Amino acid sequence: MSRTTARTYERFPLARRIEHWVMMLSFTTLAITGLPQRFSSAPFSIAFVGFLGGIETLRTIHHIAAIVMMLGTAWHILVFGYLAYVRRTRLTMIPTLQDVKDGWQALLYNIGRAKTPPQMGRYTFEEKLEYWAFVWGAIIMGLTGFMMWNPLSTTRFLPGEVIPAAKAAHGGEALLAVLAIIIWHMYGVHIRRLNKSMFTGRMSEEEMLHEHPLELADIKAGVAEHPVDPVTLRKRQRVYLPIATVLALFMLLGVYGFVSAEQTAITTVERQAPTVVVFVPWTPTPAPTQTPTPPATETPLPTASPNATQLAAGSTTPGTPASALTWDSSIGTLLQSKCISCHGPGALGGLDLSTYSDAMRGGASGPVIIPGDGANSLLVTRQQTGDHPGQLTPEEIAQVIEWIDAGALEK
Amino acid sequence: MRNWLKANRSKLGLTGLVLGVLLLLIIMTLPVTPVAAAPRPQAEQPTDESCLACHHQEGMTAQVGGQPLPITIDPEKFFASVHGVEEIACVDCHTNITGFPHPAVTASSRRDFSLELYPTCQECHLEQYEKTLDSVHQRAIAAGNTNAAVCTDCHNPHTQTRLTDENTGELLQEARVVIPQTCAQCHSTIYETYRESVHGVALEDGNPDVPTCIDCHGVHSIPDPTSNSFRNSIPALCASCHTDETLMAKYGLSTNVLSTYVADFHGTTVKMFEENYPDQPTNKPVCTDCHGFHDVLRVDHPDAGIAYKKNLLGKCQQCHPDATTASFTDSWLSHYEPSPQVFPLVYFVNLFYKIFIPAVLGGMTLFVLTDIYRRFIVRRAGTKAAVEAETKEEETNE
Repeated sequence: MSRTTARTYERFPLARRIEHWVMMLSFTTLAITGLPQRFSSAPFSIAFVGFLGGIETLRTIHHIAAIVMMLGTAWHILVFGYLAYVRRTRLTMIPTLQDVKDGWQALLYNIGRAKTPPQMGRYTFEEKLEYWAFVWGAIIMGLTGFMMWNPLSTTRFLPGEVIPAAKAAHGGEALLAVLAIIIWHMYGVHIRRLNKSMFTGRMSEEEMLHEHPLELADIKAGVAEHPVDPVTLRKRQRVYLPIATVLALFMLLGVYGFVSAEQTAITTVERQAPTVVVFVPWTPTPAPTQTPTPPATETPLPTASPNATQLAAGSTTPGTPASALTWDSSIGTLLQSKCISCHGPGALGGLDLSTYSDAMRGGASGPVIIPGDGANSLLVTRQQTGDHPGQLTPEEIAQVIEWIDAGALEK
Repeated sequence: MRNWLKANRSKLGLTGLVLGVLLLLIIMTLPVTPVAAAPRPQAEQPTDESCLACHHQEGMTAQVGGQPLPITIDPEKFFASVHGVEEIACVDCHTNITGFPHPAVTASSRRDFSLELYPTCQECHLEQYEKTLDSVHQRAIAAGNTNAAVCTDCHNPHTQTRLTDENTGELLQEARVVIPQTCAQCHSTIYETYRESVHGVALEDGNPDVPTCIDCHGVHSIPDPTSNSFRNSIPALCASCHTDETLMAKYGLSTNVLSTYVADFHGTTVKMFEENYPDQPTNKPVCTDCHGFHDVLRVDHPDAGIAYKKNLLGKCQQCHPDATTASFTDSWLSHYEPSPQVFPLVYFVNLFYKIFIPAVLGGMTLFVLTDIYRRFIVRRAGTKAAVEAETKEEETNE
């Protein structure tokens, strides 16, 4: 290796390096925020979305990175125009048939079927492959990204199906790009041999000899660059400046339209919660107990019954002898009509008032009728509190007292 | 082993006894299913017969806060009810009644009377009662809305028949059919909407497969259906039936509705969102935003079926009012898996990348591998040459 000198050669000026770093950062950001969306059910994706603060944040970052990449691409186009028109440099990135031959020879050399590796110029077939793959990817991603960002506008001109198709292509292309970068780019410039030219901007003569021998030869022969005389340069600059300005404005407008054309595609109107009237009860609303039916004629409600009225009327008749009040004549009928629904054969509280003998026997609390002492008979005292469910009227109570005081006779 | 058993029989007997007692103690401390709790002993307490001796009379009312409270119980219905069958006595619930006269009613209204009485249910139905404490109804009551349902509003304790199979604990079909009517007591307009839905019509036809109110809203612990967490859980809720292959096969319905939803932009978003923020609002649609909920219809319903683009576009416009072309609706694959017949463009794009990605990456990998191989050979040859050169040099020196 004594033939090489310590001389270094400029490979990437600072501006190109900055451009690369901008693209690299935006690409990485797009990949990191895009792949979780493609593999949305993977636990890692969900955890990552949570870490970033939600899917909307993730998408915002993805969109910002996309804008940066679009601006980077626009810048690249302007730089290309400058180099191609003003500087008239050789278009060393254009793929040629020689690249195919170089690739083939490299393969043959690798598998031992060729004696020497291919001799290549400023950009090797590997670098050209990667560059044009990136161009292809940028076009696909830009177009499909536009469709997904602007589905309303897109479907005004194209069938709706292109939106999910764009999503499919965006995801497929993304996966391809990320894996290609890992396999091709990482191996080519980081693993095989750490190529520092994107950091330093320069390459040693030995590196040049190994990787770009034809360019090195051109440089040494002084034919790598076409020197432009200052007058021509200025003349061309004057032509290119307005074109570039218009082009730049056009592209900026494009980016602006890209991200702002639609108001309700990604940012939708606020979701309107459905209005449902919740509480509209049925009428009548069923209750835990039966709804009262209109009082039927046969209902033995504790209200005045014809019998009782008759009795009450009888009791007030002056001159009627006290002894006329007997169980059989009236009291039995009165108690039967008003009490036996509870104190009948069912004998609530042990008290059955259906017959004279049952009534005289009393209930669980003892006798309810003390002949001769109406005021202290339980039947009377319980009735006099006024809150018994089967309630006798005061007149009826008076009759009962009179009957008991007279000995509570059956006949 | 057998000999050992013989020799230690007496010891074993003692150990067995101790273990048995221990086991019994453990079992006694285990929680028992509260539904089957036995009625308490009723020494000196009124029997059902004595209560019904009065309360069977039609049209009986008591005055509660100036309102007539019906207090008639139909003995026939009561004894046919699950409480009657299980011999739960009146006074098991009406615990303040020990005889006659009854203690004064303190409730200020008929509703107040129910609200005072229903906590008694927890004596036997603690599990269900505790579930209701988290429910939307209890929250409403806590917020002062006394109209919200308590136990007895849905389960009339005097007539409620058995709702679940005694052995399996599963809800009986005849019970399912009446569930919507139970809810309709308060939610009558929703019920009317549900009756018209594809689910409601089928339920009234006796179809056991369709959801009633509680299949979506739950029972006892009914969550707030307007909450974010409920909305975010809707895809999983619908999927619980709609991804069931045997169930859907009966009706010729697709079971890929969830997978196709999650594969789409909206579903992906909701899923990723819901996993991290189940109780936060999202503006992305869930099943019910397009299909409706109480009013869910067949997608080929002639008037409102969303299989028709004009109907579907209306759903899109709820969130995307600027969507005016029917072709926009095809942005959504309508739960179809792309195929050469349906959405062929999507199918072929996917197919292209299925071939293109491995082809490109495979080619790159192959080249990289040959490159690694060559470098390995060159390095080894280089070392060999260096060693040879060194040896030669040494030889010359000698």
